[in-house]
Amino acid sequence: MLEAINLKKTFGDYDALKGLDLTVNPGDIYCLLGANGAGKTTTINLFLNFINPTSGTARVCGIDVMADPLETKKLLAYIPEQVMLYGNLSALENLRYFAQLGGHDYTEAEYKGFLTRCGLQNEAVTQRVSQFSKGMRQKVGVSIALAKQAKALLLDEPTSGLDPKASNEFSELLIQLKNDGASILMATHDLFRAKQTGTRIGIMREGRMMQELGTEDVSHADIERIYLEHMHGDASRHAA
Amino acid sequence: MITSIARKEFTEIVRDGRFKWTAAIMVLLLLTAMLAGYQKYNTAVRIQHAAQAGSNQQWLNQGDKNPHSAAHYGNYAFKPAGPLSYFDNGISNYAGTAVFMEAHKQNFAIGRPATDQSAIARFGDLSGASILQLLLPLLIIFLGFTAFSGERESGTLRLVMSMGVTNRQLLWGKALGVGTAVLIVVVPCILIGAVALAMADSIDHAEGMGTRITVLSLAYLMYAGIFLFLTLAVSALTRHARTTLMVLIGFWAFTGFLMPKAASEISKYTNPTPAFGKWMADMRAHQLRGFDGTPPFVKFMGYTKQLLKEYGVSKPADLPMYFVAVRLQKLEEYDYPVFDQHYGMIRDAYAEQLRVQDRLGVLAPTLPLRSISRAISGTDSIQHVKFMSDAETFRRNMVLKMNDYLSKASVHLNATFSSSNYMRADEEVFAIVPPFVFEPPKLSAIITEHRSNFMLLALWLAAAIGLAVFAANRISLESS
Repeated sequence: MLEAINLKKTFGDYDALKGLDLTVNPGDIYCLLGANGAGKTTTINLFLNFINPTSGTARVCGIDVMADPLETKKLLAYIPEQVMLYGNLSALENLRYFAQLGGHDYTEAEYKGFLTRCGLQNEAVTQRVSQFSKGMRQKVGVSIALAKQAKALLLDEPTSGLDPKASNEFSELLIQLKNDGASILMATHDLFRAKQTGTRIGIMREGRMMQELGTEDVSHADIERIYLEHMHGDASRHAA
Repeated sequence: MITSIARKEFTEIVRDGRFKWTAAIMVLLLLTAMLAGYQKYNTAVRIQHAAQAGSNQQWLNQGDKNPHSAAHYGNYAFKPAGPLSYFDNGISNYAGTAVFMEAHKQNFAIGRPATDQSAIARFGDLSGASILQLLLPLLIIFLGFTAFSGERESGTLRLVMSMGVTNRQLLWGKALGVGTAVLIVVVPCILIGAVALAMADSIDHAEGMGTRITVLSLAYLMYAGIFLFLTLAVSALTRHARTTLMVLIGFWAFTGFLMPKAASEISKYTNPTPAFGKWMADMRAHQLRGFDGTPPFVKFMGYTKQLLKEYGVSKPADLPMYFVAVRLQKLEEYDYPVFDQHYGMIRDAYAEQLRVQDRLGVLAPTLPLRSISRAISGTDSIQHVKFMSDAETFRRNMVLKMNDYLSKASVHLNATFSSSNYMRADEEVFAIVPPFVFEPPKLSAIITEHRSNFMLLALWLAAAIGLAVFAANRISLESS
C-alpha cells in the first residue's frame, strides 16, 4: 500500500507539491495524470526517498519513508521512463545485479524465467543490453520488479515512446502484477492506457490533486473531457 | 551485497575498452622497466665487484714503497648497488658511485651516472618505482572515475538507489571491484620482477629482503588505496564524469609532477647549501688555522714536549718510535674534527632539506611514498651518507695502519732523519689494511627514520577513506 498524507515539497520558491493526499491499495493501478510540472515525478521521488518532503508523510505498507528509507525501498520497485541498464552486461547479468542489490538471489533458470515471463525473447537473455530497444529495456525493468517481489510499484511514464504492441504487452504485465496484489502507482500521459489498465485515476495540476476517478465509472471520452477541463483551469467548479 | 557490487563493477571495467588499453600499456611499461632495471642492476653489480677487487689488488700490488707513500697511493671505495635498486634507483644517478681514499684528504664521491646521460634523462628513470608512483594512480583514476558520476549520467544510479542498498555498501563494493581490476594488472608484473630478481646470479643479498619487499608492497598498496578512495570520493561529489576526470587528473599532476619539483626548490630555499668553492676554501682555512684556533704545528710542538716528558728523553731522535711517522699521523688527526664539521654541515643541510620535503607530504602523498620507496630500496641519501662515512672510516684506518707501521718499523732511522733512508714496505705490509666493506644501514633504523613518512601515508589513506564515505553519504538525486 502507498499513502501520501498532506505531502508538500518546495524547491526554493517553487511549490512542486502543495499538500497531496493519496492512497493506493493492493490490487490497484493508480494512474496519475497531469501536464509536465504537475508534481507526478516529485510524488514518485518522494516515495523513493530520492528527495525529502518539505512537510507531510509518505508511507509504504504503513512504514514512513523518511523514518526507514532502506526498508521501504525493499518493498518498492521503480520503473522509470527510460530503464537505464549497464550496456556491457547482458540482460541476465543486469537482472541478477539488481536482484542482489534488492537482497534476493535466484538460480540462473529462475532469472531466465523472470525475463521470458516479461516477454523478452530467449536469445536476448544473454545478449548485452547496449543494443536493446526501449521496449526490451522496459521488459528487463519489469523483470527486476518481479524478482524484487515488490509490494508496491512506482512507474514514471513507463510506456511513453513504446510502440502500441510493446505498450500493450507492458499493460498485460502490470495487470498480472496487480492481480498478484501489488499496489501500483503510475505517472502517465496516456489517457487511453489509464482507462484500459488503471483501476483509479488522479488528475494533478500545479502540485495539487484536482480530481480522483474510478475507471469503472467513466468512459474514455469522459476522462478526456474532465482532464481537459482541469487543464484549462475551469473545471474546479464541476469538481466535488 | 558488497561482493555482488564488486563483481558487477569488476565485470563492467574488464569488458570496457578502456581497461584493455590501459592494462596493456601498464603491463608493457612495468615489465620493460623491471627487466631493464634488472639488467642494469646485474651489470652494475658485476662492474662494482670487478672494480673493487681490481682496486684492492692494485693497493696490494702498488710496488714496494714507504708505507706513508702507500697511504697516498690510496684505494677506492665503490658503492654496491643494493638488489632493490633495480626497482627504485633513488638518488643513485646523482650521488656518485666511488670515493678515492687517500692520506690527508677526505674526498667527495665521484662517478655520477647522470653526468653521462643525455637530456632525456631529466624526465626521470623508467623504473618500476617511477611507474608505480606516476602511472598506477593514473590507471586507478581511469578505471574508477565513472564509478558514481558515470552512473549518475547514464541514469543507472537512480535505479541502483531505488533498490534499498546503502551508500556505504555501494562505496565499499565499488572500491573492491575497481581495486581488484587494478591489482590483476599490477600484481603479476611485480611478481615477475621479484622472480627475476630471485634468479639473479650476482646478488648482494641485502639484509631482510623479505621484510623489505613486504614493507614496499604495503607502502605502495596504501598509496594505491589513497588514489582509489580519492577517485571514488571525487566521482561521488561531482555531477559529470568529465568533471570527475578533470579534478582527478589535476590532483594527479599536482602530487606527481608539481610537488616533487616544488618541494625540492622550496627546501633549497629554506635550507641553502653553501657554494662549493667557498665551502672548500673555508675548510682549507680552518685546517690551517686549526680546529680550535691553535694551528696544527703549534699543537704538535706541545704534543712533542709531552711525548719527550712521557718517555723521559731530551730530543725526538731518542724516542722509541719513528718521529716523522708520529708527526704525520698527528697532523692527520688534527684534521678529523675539521672534516667532520664541514662535511657534517653539508650532510645536515641535505638532511634538513629532505625533512622539509617530507613535511610537504601533507600536501602530496607522492612525497612520503617516494621517500619510503628509496629508503627501503637502499638508494636514498641515508644509504649514501652511510657509504661516505664507511669510506672515511676506512680511509682513517688505512692511513693510521700505514703511519703506525712506519712508526714502529723505522725507529732505527730516527737519528738520521733523511728522506733517502725511507724504509720500503711490501705487499705483506699493505695487507694489514683489511679490504673495504660497505655496511648498509640497518633496516630497522631506516624504518624508524621514516616513521613520520609512514604516518603521513596512513593519514592520507584515512583522509581519503573518510572523504569517500562522506561523499558517498551525501549522494543526492535531488535534481537528477
